[in-house]
Amino acid sequence: MESLILAKNKLPELIKRIQSKYLLFAPTKTDDITLFKPINDYKEINLEFCNSKLPPKSLLFCQTETLFKFKQGISAEVKSVDLPNSKNVIFGIRPCDSKSFTIVDSVFKDDFVDPYYMKKRENTILIGLACIKPGVNCFCTSMDGGPANSEDLDILLTDLGDKYYVEVESKKGNEIIKIGKNFFSKSSANDKTRKNEISKKAENAITRNMKTKGIVEKLDNIFENPLWKKISMKCLGCGICTYQCPTCHCFDIQDETTLYDGARVRVWDTCMNPEYTSHASGHNPRPARMNRTRNRVYHKFNYYPKNYNIIACVGCGRCINDCPVNIDIIDIINKAREVKT
Amino acid sequence: MVNLNKLREEANKIVNRDDIKYIIGWEKGTYGFQVTPFFATTSDDIDKLIFSPLCIHNLTVFPMLEEKLPMRKGAEEDTRKIGLVVKGCDSRAIIQIIQEKGLNRDDLVIIGIPCTGVIDPKKINEKFPNQTKPVNVEEYEKYFIIKINGKTHKILKEELLMNKCKQCEFPNPLVYDVLIGPEIKNKGKNIYKNIESFKKKSLKEKWEYWEKQFDKCIRCYACRNVCPMCYCEECMVDQLNPQWVRRSVNVSENTAWNIMRAFHLAGRCIDCGECERVCPAGIPLVKLNKKLEKEVIEMFDYTPGLDVEEKPLLAMFKPEDPEEFIL
Amino acid sequence: MSKDSFKPNIVAFLCNWCSYAGADLAGTSRIEYPPNVKVIRVMCSGRVNPMFVVNALQEGADGVLIGGCHPGDCHYIQGNYFAKRRTAVLKKLLEHIGIDERRVRMTWVSAAEGKKFADVIKEITEDIKKIGPMQQIRRKNNW
Repeated sequence: MESLILAKNKLPELIKRIQSKYLLFAPTKTDDITLFKPINDYKEINLEFCNSKLPPKSLLFCQTETLFKFKQGISAEVKSVDLPNSKNVIFGIRPCDSKSFTIVDSVFKDDFVDPYYMKKRENTILIGLACIKPGVNCFCTSMDGGPANSEDLDILLTDLGDKYYVEVESKKGNEIIKIGKNFFSKSSANDKTRKNEISKKAENAITRNMKTKGIVEKLDNIFENPLWKKISMKCLGCGICTYQCPTCHCFDIQDETTLYDGARVRVWDTCMNPEYTSHASGHNPRPARMNRTRNRVYHKFNYYPKNYNIIACVGCGRCINDCPVNIDIIDIINKAREVKT
Repeated sequence: MVNLNKLREEANKIVNRDDIKYIIGWEKGTYGFQVTPFFATTSDDIDKLIFSPLCIHNLTVFPMLEEKLPMRKGAEEDTRKIGLVVKGCDSRAIIQIIQEKGLNRDDLVIIGIPCTGVIDPKKINEKFPNQTKPVNVEEYEKYFIIKINGKTHKILKEELLMNKCKQCEFPNPLVYDVLIGPEIKNKGKNIYKNIESFKKKSLKEKWEYWEKQFDKCIRCYACRNVCPMCYCEECMVDQLNPQWVRRSVNVSENTAWNIMRAFHLAGRCIDCGECERVCPAGIPLVKLNKKLEKEVIEMFDYTPGLDVEEKPLLAMFKPEDPEEFIL
Repeated sequence: MSKDSFKPNIVAFLCNWCSYAGADLAGTSRIEYPPNVKVIRVMCSGRVNPMFVVNALQEGADGVLIGGCHPGDCHYIQGNYFAKRRTAVLKKLLEHIGIDERRVRMTWVSAAEGKKFADVIKEITEDIKKIGPMQQIRRKNNW
């Protein structure tokens, strides 16, 4: 793992250099809402944000993805879609969101390797920005993460004031260092200490804690507990938590057609919608909001760890920030732990 | 200021009745300025009930959200009533739903609260960002008194109130079984200033504005789920046979979705503003729905949510309805 | 696409008893009218869901016509009155969003008014030609 320094005034030129070889995505702010968008000009980038409204998963796992096209009628044929060859860079991604890619990778390369996600994932370099001021509902430290963790990133930038402390974690990260060679300089032990100080300060600023020790086993025991009915009574069943969650990956596949041609598209779906589990027979195995809310918690904190050995939550806090009725996952898990069995 | 003791006293009387399933009110949230809907079933639960200017949610969405699940053989349906705490604007939703025969009046026991206005979460979070510990807000004449970390802040109500509250014509619940506190005499006047100034723009400008807004839509359907008037068992946007709106997210489909919802709310939207509050993309949905609210008053002299005996707008007609557009 | 070469696509929802019969009469009487209209027969103008109109505009229609019976003559007594209310509300909504509300028209044509039907189509085709093609909510189908 290499450590370098990038002076802040060199950042615009580095960005320009990156843009010449890669498709660049970075945070942009419109009307107080930060979103990751493709960047044409350095001025569009806004790094004054806690975290983006929608997670950058939308860049790799697109909300609407064409799987293949077809023509109907006498000259019927199926045409596969060319997967994009572009090399991408996501700049300014937070450590929690980068961890989400590592978590979701397990699903997309399990028994079937999803080419639509994996091709983009392999061609994307993640340049992260450490959190200096975590948000009110951030709890990445409870989920084996941290505001300045670099494990799931290719490069991590930590803002030291007038310069960035650059940690290069992978071969992909080295590619960026190579093309921006003259912008980076050697780092000193002082810089490292300063980075560690900032990282510690940010960790201490995180006030909310979720105790996850033994949660998988505990959840196994309380499936039929009336706690789930109580928690889910106020759930509206909208899709805000799902769509904003960096690890949620459920989708629906639809055929869109005109009279002569069409395409099969994959779109985001949410398990909070009753139609998600609605069978063709009319039966719905999750008919009530209680079933669906309980399923959401179990999927992230019980089923996913059992299948892939990792809790499918990165502690970004977006679901807590935007839930219209203040359903709080930290509160739920802490309550679940205290249930007497 | 609402008399919290009186609220809890009345709620306690109701929750202990045999024919009540639960009472829906508010309790303290988990952080900062949050309050959360709360379903009280026992007297102990009643002690957690609160009412403050932070209680913005429209709780009338919950009676219609309750699922009627298939029952075991021999089991009887639970036909007990639901208790509900409503502010002035919320009560209009109940009246409108009863008007449409979505609910019966005797399915509900309504605790009405004359409301002096609620705080806009966006405005208060801008003024006092990043609050972790639960914060209390009280009213005093023209001010809100907010205690944070031992320090007391006095803010003019004007600066924090929801825009809808500044023009509220119905601060007193129009239907209730028990009223907590005296009726409020001061009423605002609903002026459609924004709608009228928007009307003056050219078609091109209007489309440019709305195209930008609908491009932001992520089709989470939070607007639909939080709306008390959106209670169709199968929403048209979820229908696959026929499929009215494709599930792809692009301007064409997003516009079709928003047109569909705005049209279905014509003459039914009671302007509680919840849709705009919950939208994660920040789309100005109240601006969309208020236009039809204004047109429906002007064209058909119909205001939703006032009279249970009235017939719903699109379920009736008058021979003198406007017809200048007909060839 | 120059103004002259723009051939508008107009979808007409005609009620079976009056306006469809009227259109039929225009045909059998050999009255000429612009060929830009594509007719969909519905049993009553009250059957027309506003989403029919929106979907038509999405799929490539530049204008939509809803044809019904004269007030008081509806085969199903009141269908046309409901359709009138719905169309009035829909037009206001479309105008608010920035879609020209003149793209959505309504007409009362009885079964004996073949000439009127032809005149209505002529007028609408001229109007839509002036407004231009519908680009705003058109489905791009560029998967």
